[in-house]
Amino acid sequence: MNRHKPMSHEQASELLPWLVNDSLAEDERDLVHEHATSCVICRRELHELENLCNSISNVSAATAIPAPDMRRINARIDALIANKNRGQILLAKMREFFGSPWRIAFALQSALVILLGTALLWPQTEEPAFTTLTAPESLSEGQYIRVVFEPTLPASDLSTLLDTMNLTIVDGPSDRGVYTLRLSTTRSAADLEAMLADLSSNGGVVFAQPVPGEVQR
Amino acid sequence: MTRSKAGNSAPEHKAANELALLDAIRGRDRRAFAELYRLYHPRLHGYLHRILSNRAIAEEVLDDVMFVVWKDARKFRGHAAVSSWIFGIAYRKAMTAIRKEGRYHALLDHGTDVNTVPEKASQDAELIQAALVQLSPDHRQVVELTYFSGFSYQEIATIAECPINTVKTRMFHARRRLKYLLPILAGADEEQDREQA
Repeated sequence: MNRHKPMSHEQASELLPWLVNDSLAEDERDLVHEHATSCVICRRELHELENLCNSISNVSAATAIPAPDMRRINARIDALIANKNRGQILLAKMREFFGSPWRIAFALQSALVILLGTALLWPQTEEPAFTTLTAPESLSEGQYIRVVFEPTLPASDLSTLLDTMNLTIVDGPSDRGVYTLRLSTTRSAADLEAMLADLSSNGGVVFAQPVPGEVQR
Repeated sequence: MTRSKAGNSAPEHKAANELALLDAIRGRDRRAFAELYRLYHPRLHGYLHRILSNRAIAEEVLDDVMFVVWKDARKFRGHAAVSSWIFGIAYRKAMTAIRKEGRYHALLDHGTDVNTVPEKASQDAELIQAALVQLSPDHRQVVELTYFSGFSYQEIATIAECPINTVKTRMFHARRRLKYLLPILAGADEEQDREQA
């Protein structure tokens, strides 16, 4: 007679598969048995599970198992060992060269510091700013034009030309000799075009173009 | 009334032998590994072949499992039996293969390619295989590990890395499904026989 509290139907029923495969602990097995002898449902279930288990062991026994072939796994293990050995050989060579593991660590650290230092101190090459002659700039409100004068044009002639046309230099000359000029009086589009034609026909002017509209009201 | 697990006569000796082999494998003993491989090959092959229903893939996964055993022998802490540890690796590899290949659905669509069942046992075997492939991978694993591999529910919980109650629940649902499927499949089988006659 078992000294443990009897098992409920649910508890016993859910353990039946493991009673059938004989893997229950002794006390559990006794309790399930005890319940099954008095429970018609569990007895029937147990019988069915035993039949299923027998059929399954027939399937299991009938399944042909090929002979173990270790060639592939041996090759994988050989490759793993070879890889590990390569690492160890490299480490051994480093040890031989540097003498002790501390020196290897010091050498690696120094190399890292040099690399970082080089990266930080390397001169940064700035991207050259690229603008076209007709590109708008952040200019204050008004009308502007860009003009390239002949390099040989005397300063006095340039000054006269600017005065005649009521133009003031606000920027330039740039690297490419471009001046940005402000018109002292606002002109209509037609007047502006006529003025640019005048300038272009002047022998001292190489190029004259308006600065696009956003600063020109 | 109950059946005995294979090799149940000296389970302690068997467990001690496996532990000794794993210890030797930790020390990179190739001979011990070969012995453990040969020891587990039939069980793992049967398990993986039934779960994956493809011999080539089963052999590939078996090698993957044993490769992990070789690599990770040092990680075995001895909290569970060696067999639970190895089958735990096999369980996860099999589940990965099932998920990766959509194998479960493929099995449902096309049945199995298990062609190693001799004539005599074919009827029962085919019936059971046909019913098993209708189970979800989780439910099927519990049935396989219980009836084919003879594991206790505690060992299955270790293998599947889930609570004991989950194992019991999965088995409960698997039993209910098999009880429903087997008579239907047996009926279909008989009908087919009659038609052929």
